[in-house]
Amino acid sequence: MAKSMYLLWGSGSCPCWRVMITLEEKKLQGYKQKLLSFEKEEHKSKEVLEINPRGQLPSFKHGDDIINESTGACLYLENQFKSQGNKLIPDSPAEQALMYQRMMEGLTLYEKLNLVAFYDFYAPEGERHDSALKRNKDNLVTELQLWERYLENVAAGRYLAGGFSLADVVVFPSLAYAFRYGLSAGRYPKLAKYYSLLKDRPSIKATWPPKWFQIEQRSESLKDI
Amino acid sequence: MAKDMTLLWGSGSPPCWRVMIALEEKGLQGYNSKQLSFEKGEHKGKDVLAINPRGQLPAFKHGNITLNESYGACLYLEEQFKNQGNKLTPENKAEVALMYQRMFEGLSLFDKIKQSLFYDRFVPENERHDSAKKRNAEGLKDEIKIWEGYMQTTGPYLAGKSFSLADVIVFPVVAFLFRFGLNEEHFPKLAAYHNTVKDRPSVKNTWPSNWKDSPGMDTLKNL
Repeated sequence: MAKSMYLLWGSGSCPCWRVMITLEEKKLQGYKQKLLSFEKEEHKSKEVLEINPRGQLPSFKHGDDIINESTGACLYLENQFKSQGNKLIPDSPAEQALMYQRMMEGLTLYEKLNLVAFYDFYAPEGERHDSALKRNKDNLVTELQLWERYLENVAAGRYLAGGFSLADVVVFPSLAYAFRYGLSAGRYPKLAKYYSLLKDRPSIKATWPPKWFQIEQRSESLKDI
Repeated sequence: MAKDMTLLWGSGSPPCWRVMIALEEKGLQGYNSKQLSFEKGEHKGKDVLAINPRGQLPAFKHGNITLNESYGACLYLEEQFKNQGNKLTPENKAEVALMYQRMFEGLSLFDKIKQSLFYDRFVPENERHDSAKKRNAEGLKDEIKIWEGYMQTTGPYLAGKSFSLADVIVFPVVAFLFRFGLNEEHFPKLAAYHNTVKDRPSVKNTWPSNWKDSPGMDTLKNL
């Protein structure tokens, strides 16, 4: 099964990491994979474009089927491999609803983090404004405070929607990224606790990014948030 | 079941429309439906904030359960009501994979629409640039061409033979494009898709009321 899967990925990319965590959780280790470099623009190479005309990573194939959208790929893997590995979508209506809610909100969190840490990617030189960056920072603070509240009662086995689920698969990488780019654990103690509870989970540990994109220049981007 | 459900929604909003289509498809008509006005700022009102602290629509409740993310609500309804109404997840592995792919690509399409058509709404006056507007308009055109390309190789629905969650999620966004004047001659495959799906009962029954009463815009006519 795993042998008919092929993942093209880049180090430090949260979307790539989501798929890799899911593959581990569903006991699909042994998939074919290739690490590509964003710095060298390898995500725009022919090999990627053949699978993903958008020239983005992750690019993922299962046999002839292609799913490059990370959240889509995670849902696909959970649904196709329901009976193996760990269950990532709860059955109970209340937990399931909460899981879907937090999973999708996780995409908003990721976007707001990027709008601060990688503001210059969104606004080319000549289009940057202090007022815009300030607004993005304020929005990020509001967003992170929401997640502090969501994780008010975080404990081992009590994650975003109860047991470890697709919500955590989507959100954990973004929080790992946030702390790596300077987010203060002191200001966000619940997020920090969630991070420390999950960082050693086997699927997460096994797929930890070898390096983070442009970390030398950006390791303090979120320090003041 | 439906009587335990409440949906707060705004007319013409693709995220709201998705949930309404899903409810119809799963035979859950009869839910408590409350239409609110974005123009009057009602999405930031107490009613909404009580369900959705983000002050956004849709806001959806099923008993004590809250699901305000439209994708989440659609996935939940399909999963929880698997055995009633229409099946929105294809049986065939290839179609399922394509369904998930297109569902989430739908986020790109909607984002590009917002960045271009609603540029002035999201960007304060002193931060606007013609260069950005131009880039965003090109981005939207390229994105629409991608979807036209998809419909050249797949059909009649986004994931192939069966109407699926991909259509529930993305059709409202495609309808939005035609509401803003997208030219059927420039994008014939998307137009055919639009014409096929717009008559589906779940879509017809939930068509934005203010769209019926007034003509659309021609902003995208020359794209």
